[in-house]
Amino acid sequence: MNLATNMTPGADAVIRTVGLTRSFAMGSTTVQALRGVDLVIRRGEYVAIMGPSGSGKSTLMNLIGCLDTPSSGEYWLNGQPVAKLGQDELAHIRNQEIGFVFQTFNLLARATALRNVELPLIYGGVPPVQRRQMAEQALREVDLADRMDHRPNQLSGGQRQRVSIARALVTRPALLLADEPTGNLDTATSHEIMLLFARLHAAGNTIVVVTHERDIADHAHRVVTIRDGRIASDEPNRPAEAAQA
Amino acid sequence: MNLGEATRLAVESIWANRLRSFLTLLGVIIGIAAIIATAAVIQGLNVYVSEKLSNLGKGVFTVQRFGLITNRQDFLDAVRRNRRLLPADGRAIAQHCTTVREVAWETHASTDLKRGLEEIRDVDIGGITPAILAIEPYDVADGRILAEHEQEGAVPVCFVGNDIVDRLYPGVDPIGKPLRIKGLDVTIVGVAKKKGSFLGFSQDTFVKIPFSLHQKLFGGHRSINISVQAADPDDMESSIEEVRGVLRARHHLAPRHADDFSFVTSEGINSLWRNLTATIFSVALFVVGISLVVGGIVIMNIMLVSVVERTREIGVRKAVGARQRDIEQQFLIEAVLLSCLGGLIGILLAYGIATLVAANTPLPTSFPVWAPPAAFLICAGIGVFFGIHPARRAARLDPIEALRSE
Ligand SMILES: Nc1ncnc2c1ncn2[C@@H]1O[C@H](COP(=O)(O)OP(=O)(O)OP(=O)(O)O)[C@@H](O)[C@H]1O
Ligand SMILES: [Mg+2]
Repeated sequence: MNLATNMTPGADAVIRTVGLTRSFAMGSTTVQALRGVDLVIRRGEYVAIMGPSGSGKSTLMNLIGCLDTPSSGEYWLNGQPVAKLGQDELAHIRNQEIGFVFQTFNLLARATALRNVELPLIYGGVPPVQRRQMAEQALREVDLADRMDHRPNQLSGGQRQRVSIARALVTRPALLLADEPTGNLDTATSHEIMLLFARLHAAGNTIVVVTHERDIADHAHRVVTIRDGRIASDEPNRPAEAAQA
Repeated sequence: MNLGEATRLAVESIWANRLRSFLTLLGVIIGIAAIIATAAVIQGLNVYVSEKLSNLGKGVFTVQRFGLITNRQDFLDAVRRNRRLLPADGRAIAQHCTTVREVAWETHASTDLKRGLEEIRDVDIGGITPAILAIEPYDVADGRILAEHEQEGAVPVCFVGNDIVDRLYPGVDPIGKPLRIKGLDVTIVGVAKKKGSFLGFSQDTFVKIPFSLHQKLFGGHRSINISVQAADPDDMESSIEEVRGVLRARHHLAPRHADDFSFVTSEGINSLWRNLTATIFSVALFVVGISLVVGGIVIMNIMLVSVVERTREIGVRKAVGARQRDIEQQFLIEAVLLSCLGGLIGILLAYGIATLVAANTPLPTSFPVWAPPAAFLICAGIGVFFGIHPARRAARLDPIEALRSE
């Protein structure tokens, strides 16, 4: 795959960005976190985003995840232009089309695993009985069927991250985004989470993972490298381990 | 997100911080409890006043030397101007007024009554023309009321209140027994039914004797209260005007002179009472209003603190798809629920206070039925008014900034 084919708009492009920039006003100066990102990600792809600290990976993920709005540029999600959407429309997209996994899990401390996973469905207006079934199903998919009534502080780091993955999956979104999902986990647990991602990818999910670590990125089929707010390289990858999973 | 879900969240959140929630609500609790307890006491007194104080029947009014005096100037004027009312005034009304069915009068004196070692001080001795018992009826517990011929002959008989019997004739049938009043033995012919006490004053410490006997015992110089029953109960006004004319003529008042007597009607008593309680209530309402505003500000403050504390939670909710209005609704419902909880505790507290007051003081209380719904309405209003600002602030948080907060 080369840059030219990436730029071609296709019917199966889940993500397409053109000249995406994001700058932050810091007093009198502005920080240019993204300086024009053109990126196409197709349905079913498993992409890793790498790059040095401060290069703009999280900023890009937040834009892709509709948590933030770009300073300039265009962004189509599933063919729909979202760069200029209002807060409520973005909320709807976050709810329906995107599952976001955070480095720090971001679970509600007072709620059980089940309640945490139900959260997107609550805002999606899914009725209680169906909601519960869907949340239980998602927790089973991440092998947490026996931990549904545990609160986050009663779970291990890896289990917490699996709860948050279940929460991201529960609405069956077109896109699963993870910003350093293993950043707070030890090596063994990281491996376990990456096997889970491989399995979800095999089941047909489109996945974008930000990571610092080469061996995490090696699970992906494509590695995009960002440097100073620009895409520095974009290459296919042979995911040895993912193939095994 | 639907209302049930938002309510559940709010309840969870209030419960998670229950001590803080309770302390937050003190202002509202005290305000609501104070106003309802005040209303309960006033309403209790209202019932009492309309039932017992103004027992003037329909179409009945009285003419008195001093009527319902509400201020010092009125009092001074009345003392200077008003003449004593005499039996001749009563007789003139009976003779000349055509719109009057019944005229009777009563005068009062007080004396100590003794029997054996027992003594009651300052008993109200009423001298009545017996017709008054037809105008302002007494319930008879035992014996009979006074008869017309006993007035004419100044017969030494009396009709007494329950306290007299309880204290001077315990365990004795009082009918036919002598009661010594100012050195004269007066025969008890009847006992009134117990009326109970009002504001700590017994309503049963009285003796009624024929007016003529009263004049003999206490002298004829006392002013009388004249009770008049209008022939047409629906047109008491005409009777009042007629009586006014007769008395003014008798007292030789020129048109420029004010009446030197006054009328008391049950309407007058009630409206005086209503004015008084309305004033008390509005003062209470003002004080409580301030406490509710302070309570509301405290709620707003704690909600703002809560928004800051839960910024991260708000970020998480937004990240998974909560819209601004979902967040706003959640915090608004929490504020409303919080203040309604304050209202609920306030209502219960007021109920407790009213019960305690009724049990331990002479004040009667009556818990107003409108109080709980009104309190909830007011509290919901406070919750919305003071909760909207924190809720909006929460709703407008930027998802990324909120997620990044510690
Ligand atoms: N809210 C913000 N306000 C100001 N500057 C910001 C903000 N968010 C990001 N930046 C800046 O934008 C640049 C990119 O940040 P970003 O978080 O995207 O980096 P990153 O690639 O995710 O780094 P890391 O690997 O350390 O997570 C950094 O220089 C950062 O200081
Ligand atoms: Mg980052």
